[in-house]
Amino acid sequence: MSRPGFVLEVDDRTPPLVVHEGEGFRLETFPLGTRVIYPPESLPAVPDVDQAIQHALRNPEGSDPLPELLFPGMRLTVAFDDLSLPLPPMRSPDIRQRIIEAVLTMAAAAGVDDVELVAANALHRRMTAAELKHIVGERVFRSFFPQGALYNHDAEDRSNLTHVGLTDQGEDVEINRRAAESDLLVYVNVNLVAMDGGHKSVPVGLASYKSLRHHHNSKTMVRSHSFMDHTKSHLHHSAWRMGQLLKEHLNIFQIETTLNNEVFPAPYDFLMKREWEWSIKDQGSMLAARRALSLAPARLRHKMFHDLRAPYGLTGVHAGDTEQVHEKTIAAVHRQQLVEVHGQADVLVMGVPYLCPYNVSSTMNPILATCMGLGYYFNSYRGQPVVRRGGAVILYHPLKPDFNQLHHPSYVDFYEEVLAESTDPAVIEAKHEQNYAADPWYVHLYRTSHAYHGVHPFYMWYWAAHAMDHVNEVIWVGADRRAVQRLGFRAASSLADALEMASDTVGRSPSITYLHNPPHLLADVR
Amino acid sequence: MLALEMYRSLPRHVAGKVVGGRVPGLLSGYAAPLRMVTIDQPAVARPGWARLRTRLSGICGSDLGALSGRTSLYFSGLVSMPLVPGHEVVADLVDDCEDLPEGTRVVIDPVLGCVARGVEPCAWCLAGATNRCDRITVGHIAPGLQTGYCSDTGGGWGQVLTAHRSQLHVVPDAVSDEQAMLIEPLACAVHTALRAQVRRGDRVLVSGAGVVGLFTTLALRSLTEAGQITVVAKHGRQRELARAFGATEVIALDGALRGVRRATGAFHVQPDFGPGYLLGGVDVAIDAVGSKTSLETALHATRAGGRVVLSGMPAAADLSAAWFRELEVVGSYASAGREPGAGDRPAFEVAAALVADDVLAPVDGAVASYPLYRWREALDHAHAAGRLGTVKVAFDPRSSR
Amino acid sequence: MRRGVFRGGVDDVRTMARGWRWGRRSMVPRSAEAYVQAAEPTVFPTDWSRTRPLRVLREVAQKGGLEPLFRSQVRTRVEGLDVLRSMTGPVIFVANHASHLDTPLILLSLPDDWRRRTAVAAASDYFFDTWWRAVGSAVVFNTFPIERRGGTMATTSGEVLADGWNLLIYPEGTRSTDGWVARFRMGAAWLAVEHGVPVVPVAHRGTFAAMPRGQGWPSPGRRQLTVRFGAPVRPAEGESARDFGARLQAAVAVLLDEDQDTWWAARRRSARGETPDPAGPDVAQWRRVWQQSQSPPAGAPGGRRRRAWSLTR
Repeated sequence: MSRPGFVLEVDDRTPPLVVHEGEGFRLETFPLGTRVIYPPESLPAVPDVDQAIQHALRNPEGSDPLPELLFPGMRLTVAFDDLSLPLPPMRSPDIRQRIIEAVLTMAAAAGVDDVELVAANALHRRMTAAELKHIVGERVFRSFFPQGALYNHDAEDRSNLTHVGLTDQGEDVEINRRAAESDLLVYVNVNLVAMDGGHKSVPVGLASYKSLRHHHNSKTMVRSHSFMDHTKSHLHHSAWRMGQLLKEHLNIFQIETTLNNEVFPAPYDFLMKREWEWSIKDQGSMLAARRALSLAPARLRHKMFHDLRAPYGLTGVHAGDTEQVHEKTIAAVHRQQLVEVHGQADVLVMGVPYLCPYNVSSTMNPILATCMGLGYYFNSYRGQPVVRRGGAVILYHPLKPDFNQLHHPSYVDFYEEVLAESTDPAVIEAKHEQNYAADPWYVHLYRTSHAYHGVHPFYMWYWAAHAMDHVNEVIWVGADRRAVQRLGFRAASSLADALEMASDTVGRSPSITYLHNPPHLLADVR
Repeated sequence: MLALEMYRSLPRHVAGKVVGGRVPGLLSGYAAPLRMVTIDQPAVARPGWARLRTRLSGICGSDLGALSGRTSLYFSGLVSMPLVPGHEVVADLVDDCEDLPEGTRVVIDPVLGCVARGVEPCAWCLAGATNRCDRITVGHIAPGLQTGYCSDTGGGWGQVLTAHRSQLHVVPDAVSDEQAMLIEPLACAVHTALRAQVRRGDRVLVSGAGVVGLFTTLALRSLTEAGQITVVAKHGRQRELARAFGATEVIALDGALRGVRRATGAFHVQPDFGPGYLLGGVDVAIDAVGSKTSLETALHATRAGGRVVLSGMPAAADLSAAWFRELEVVGSYASAGREPGAGDRPAFEVAAALVADDVLAPVDGAVASYPLYRWREALDHAHAAGRLGTVKVAFDPRSSR
Repeated sequence: MRRGVFRGGVDDVRTMARGWRWGRRSMVPRSAEAYVQAAEPTVFPTDWSRTRPLRVLREVAQKGGLEPLFRSQVRTRVEGLDVLRSMTGPVIFVANHASHLDTPLILLSLPDDWRRRTAVAAASDYFFDTWWRAVGSAVVFNTFPIERRGGTMATTSGEVLADGWNLLIYPEGTRSTDGWVARFRMGAAWLAVEHGVPVVPVAHRGTFAAMPRGQGWPSPGRRQLTVRFGAPVRPAEGESARDFGARLQAAVAVLLDEDQDTWWAARRRSARGETPDPAGPDVAQWRRVWQQSQSPPAGAPGGRRRRAWSLTR
């Protein structure tokens, strides 16, 4: 029986608590009275995954069963979420593999010949063959990849994009041509957090820059409160409008899956336990891990973390009409991640881990760390933010200004050129976004290499716009001072120093809340 | 009189060659072929010549190069030893000199052309391009391309030197000695900026932010209609000054190509070995250092058919880009008596006018002066000037401390 | 660098030792108490402590450490060991319990071959609460966990018994607070009935006087302890654990009586049903304690020991 999430109040009996900081973690002693939000424990996984998939495909929500939608001579496209989901990558077999295999088995039985598989990576980097193989599995890979029928979506390939139309608010809807011209588009999603899925799958994952700029901009992001709650997110409202338009033109069969909170495999599973329940073995593992990390050269440390594969278990799979499916999916996500929190805090503390959606097998550069902390974690709320307006945020991450030249070429320039000039999302959007989006070199690298699109660092910065707008003070603990300065924040060497610095804003005895994630949590702030 | 004298010394020259670039401290301490001596004042034997008493004389990058033996042997035929270095000079006339009375404060255009040498003017001197004079090894004075490289005229690093009337430019009273001393490097920068033939809106890259780079930036901004001026700077103070002098963008050395690529939308190519380069890039690049890295940065960041100006004394570098990208490689040496790009006025006059307009205000206080006897310290300081935030290190032979 | 790594390790260990209260009981934050999962009752494994290497280690610990120490602090008098001569194991020793001295007293009183084959039932919630106490007692005294309130632990005792070990059980379940004997629980009787093994009653006096509950070391002056083994009691065919338990308690009561007087007198009182209640007189608590805090006299049972050559009467 998994226990629900809860809010701990640090007292004299509380041991030091784990705080993630990049490729490492520390034990932090929080001031007495600090509230710590713990996610619910991992829900039990579906015992028979294949049976659950079959059930979902044959008894969909608001749609005919999948086998009845398939007929000989049809054009079938299967799109799926890219490697930014789930985090960390799932231990093989990936859930998408099992679903795609089930879909293809049905398609083969129905005599469908024209099938293509498209990774819905939008402006994310192209995945390597090995990465595609990890997601779809060896069988599917072997059957489709050499024939060129399994590929990454290319948002810059004008000849392979279709402008479907404008929404009632004048937003361009432009998506992958193959998907738009298919008789049936099956979308296979992994709904790791509440932000994913629904109409964020097809209209965003398969879109072009022209379409994305309508919702991926600083104005929309500042108003998305939060983007983890699709009913209150302007980003999602726009995606929903696009999705409704697409629905008129296109048959979409949405398959959404939800996972439990089994994020860390052994021997790191102690990171998912509540500290006061650590056994001797867990304490030993922590000591050993800390020592190993401090001794290991940076490259090995990087490998230790990035080789982690999460033993996620499936908690639900739903298929059919996008909106009806998503309702069930969100309910499942909430069951696993929602924690009720009463009242806002003056100070929000978060530990930024080694991984965000955009640095799988890559480096977590300062911009991504900011996005992870002030974007994803800050927005992990429903109702109102965990920290009050005008409060302070304290983050842990080394913020080393190391950039992966293969994956993040435009990030370096964004860091050197744009952030040196301004850190205001609205200002940099107005002045620089177009240059980066249209830069032929970035476009070239995005299309032929494995680089994120030139405009991607801007999106990362917009993700954090709501947080920057909401709080007065952002302080990083244990971070590279020059990087922090470049990002427009403040650096402290310890939590005590950070609280001292924040005292100008929130006073001497602020209420503090620490988000104890990962595993993922969603604070329901009342 | 007291002077710092540079002399021929093979062992020191070789030592300088071997370690000069790596351990400059060794050079000022032990290996420099320089000594402090008491010698006779240079004599005035011809009309038009006069003695001057040095007020300030700067240490130039080319001086350091010569002392450390990094200068190409090409120039060994153009100098006469032993010599007193120092060609950035502000001085007082000791004698009357034609129309100028004794005591006039002047700066010297160091080029020793046909007129000063008392020979029939060559074609270049006739045209006013005195820096291109073909007769710098002949005439009634010893060979030497400039004051400060000639054994007969003395140089700024001694108490007294001689100069010809044609070299002298009067300093207005409002200009301080420090600023006046900077007129010579600024004149060179003016010449460089004009040599670059920048058209309206051109993107210019200045590689290096020492005196040459900073002043070139200033000259480009003042005299041309350059669009974006990107300066590659290493040190904090240099970055500030580059901005103050009109740079639109200042980038670090390791990010130079990346920054240019971003600004120009060029494509980056990474060869199997060696530094990467751009296909596309700036219209004009100016190498204001003379090192291999700096020169190659300039060559690699320039668009096809663009222009690369050699402002520093150049080191050997890979010229493939010049060939493949059909670059115009343009030299820029000293300054001309008549600058076609500036209405045929002398570069010194243009520079003096700029100084009078107080454009050098940002470098106030960034000049350090030393008495002659502390020359080792001064050379050390000059080597580290960029890092320490000093723009110019100079000798003040009048001072004893 | 290397030094930094070392220092970091020391700091980590210190942080964890303090945060997780190493060597003491771990604590749960008050606000988390509502979410604590009911502890899955786990049986501390003690099989390892009955392996050959550990038996050797225990022999060394008992003979080389425990016995000299014990004898230096108290005086003992052992009676009735002859009952063991006619028996082979396994048996269950059932004794009254008044002090931590009871176990060393009984173990060290046993003949070596019996001692080496005897395991001691120890309260799991006390002796097996922290790992160091569990390991320490298992090594030195060959303890195994038993649940005072009955339940899952019984299986361990049965297994140990089935392996041929003698058990020492204190059926009162805890040390007496005043030196008098409390009511016996059914555990030992149940085991004996279930496994059909004889029970040897053991009675001892003086341990409460020497080192009562709450005292960490025997009182000075080498107090006298006595221990007396009784004739084995066997469960009759079809006898219930309850009835057998009552017989055991009676057997211990008679032995205690005998230890204060003579065998013959005790037998007669027993036959008349007049054996003094080992639970003690129903008088004020201080008088009960007062009486028990008196060490047994250092002499023969039943009063004065007469020296054969003594001229005095």
